Amino acid sequence: MSAKTINIEDILNLPLDTKEQKKALMEQASCVREGRLKVYNLDNDNVKKLLELLREKLNRSVVGSMAACVHCGMCAEVCHYSLARPHDPTMVPAYKGEQIRRIFKRHFDWTGRIFPWWVHATSPQNDEDLNRLKNIVFGTCTACRRCTLNCPMGVDTAILVRLTRGLLTELGIVPEGVFVVSKDQWETGNQMGVSTEEYLETLEWMSEEVAEELGDPNFKIPIDKPDCDFMYTINPREVKYDPRSIGQAAKIFYLAGESWTMPSFGWDMTNFGLFSGDDKLGAFVAKNLYEAAKKLRVKRIVISECGHGYRSTRWEGYNWAKYQQDIPSESVLVTLIRYISEGRIKVDSSRNSLPVTYHDSCNLARSGDITEEPRWILQRVCKDFREMYPNRADNFCCTGGGGALSMVEYKALRMEVAKIKAEQLKATGAKIVCTSCHNCVDGLTDLIKYYKLDMQVAQIIELVANALVFPEKKVS
Amino acid sequence: MSEFLKILENEVQIIALAFMGTVYFIRLFWMFRFKASNEFTPPVGNPRLGIAYSMMNVAMPWAMESVRRNWSFYLQFVIFHIGVVAAISATFIIPYWPQIFEIEWVVSLFQILLAAAFVVGIIRLIRRISKPALRIISTPDDYFSLILLTAFFASGIFAVPNKYEISEWPLIIFFAMTTFFLIYVPFSKISHYLYYPFTRYFLGKVMGHRGVFPRKRGGEKPAGLKN
Repeated sequence: MSAKTINIEDILNLPLDTKEQKKALMEQASCVREGRLKVYNLDNDNVKKLLELLREKLNRSVVGSMAACVHCGMCAEVCHYSLARPHDPTMVPAYKGEQIRRIFKRHFDWTGRIFPWWVHATSPQNDEDLNRLKNIVFGTCTACRRCTLNCPMGVDTAILVRLTRGLLTELGIVPEGVFVVSKDQWETGNQMGVSTEEYLETLEWMSEEVAEELGDPNFKIPIDKPDCDFMYTINPREVKYDPRSIGQAAKIFYLAGESWTMPSFGWDMTNFGLFSGDDKLGAFVAKNLYEAAKKLRVKRIVISECGHGYRSTRWEGYNWAKYQQDIPSESVLVTLIRYISEGRIKVDSSRNSLPVTYHDSCNLARSGDITEEPRWILQRVCKDFREMYPNRADNFCCTGGGGALSMVEYKALRMEVAKIKAEQLKATGAKIVCTSCHNCVDGLTDLIKYYKLDMQVAQIIELVANALVFPEKKVS
Repeated sequence: MSEFLKILENEVQIIALAFMGTVYFIRLFWMFRFKASNEFTPPVGNPRLGIAYSMMNVAMPWAMESVRRNWSFYLQFVIFHIGVVAAISATFIIPYWPQIFEIEWVVSLFQILLAAAFVVGIIRLIRRISKPALRIISTPDDYFSLILLTAFFASGIFAVPNKYEISEWPLIIFFAMTTFFLIYVPFSKISHYLYYPFTRYFLGKVMGHRGVFPRKRGGEKPAGLKN
């Protein structure tokens, strides 16, 4: 399996593109006007600002990861960038973490302050250095945390990368895609800029489709219905590109006799703050969702299939928003397990007869412990489920994680390093790679196309919906 | 034993040790000045179990793919660090319990451990110099610390017989290096063992809270499986 080897300097020297930022300024986007989303300002002392922000953001666990790296290089053995480009030392996770660690050492560590050359402590000199830093932390790492779990010292390089991204986001030194998606999520509450009308229309459309399929003309996806058992939250990609998944979920909930609803606002469980490192955006998005659940007095929040969405909504969002969790939340996979195990829905595995393998999303497996749930379901809804190796928390990233899909300028590198994932997929001999993450669906689809693999991508809900056995209609 | 060696083995070591302890204390104080992160969610897993698992990680080579794929590196790690423990122990045994090194097999055991650690030190140095992936992340401190420790192991081999009546030089070199170490270590990468419990604690706490730690096995392909 071969891919075009790119020259890494072409990536690291990509200039800062600010067309979208200028457009947002011209359009007077409220998040930009109000200073919630920063744009790049050439006249600012951006280096000084970065150092001030770094001082503000440091906490004990970050400082631990800054101080503890022994440069053993074990992380190079597990990172898909490093494995796919063994000739390129800049792909080593420790090198990526070192970019912020050097700045930390220069300004916060004794040895680095007194003898900087001894520990390679440096400070960025100008905006060009910051731009190169941007290209490293956004372009050469998907923050998948594979290196974190494999670091003997427990250094969380992914957290250092996220921290650095967050600092650069505050300076507007970000890839165009990151700026655009952040703006959309600030402006509309969802990261694909889906308007409320578009969202409600899609739900209406899906209601009609499901009603027809179920033969129940009265079926409607409940919107803003209070006091339900749960509020279902989704990824805007479902509205924009894959509304079938909303219909499939609705069908399953209907057959399970569920009391559920979707909110008209606060429905986006994805959170670009996780990728951009912007805790303020993270808090804003998460709080919208938590407040919607509170307003509707639901008993729990159910999170549709999405790796980073699950991690953000289930865990990080509460911390970013400093919001004490008062309503339980769960992945839709847990909901599906409940339905199947309680006999509320019946499934027939012969309906999914093609060989299926499962791709663990990094955020679900390595940061959320959702590893056995998908397997439990797949073993019941598929005839031929086969493992991919390595798997669970050892799985390789789909290569589209960390917001990589929104940063088109790094796509060539992403496709090159996807070789590792492509080989892993091919070795399974499966015809369907199933995942529980919309981001992974796109990442995997890209690499399947690029490496010409004979495979399709599916989500678990799709396979469950496919395996559903409809109850016999009572003849009166 | 000369007065010089006596002072070097005792008073100088105690002063250097006190210096290292003080700097470590300040280091910890410095670290705890940074804010702690708070969790706003109830735990799914057991944070204490997660912390324990994370701390014990060093003794579970099977827990990390990076080590599973590279057993020799783990073996080197074990030998190297046993060498460190042996060398540090020797700095206390020689002045305070010299009778231990009157037992021949104990001396031989220490010499074997230190010699093995010395060889690993050389291997590590070659690895650090020859691998571009390591060269790019290595600092002068990395090279110096490794060379220093490797030389320390070598000096230990000659010091542990504790035959000052034959020649004091092996002991003078060993204890001079120890003094330098005690002063230098808090400012170098060698102080990583001070941070180890903290980084593992922070990671273990978060991962234990979410149920990721203790980790489930299942990553590797079972032997004989075709797909």
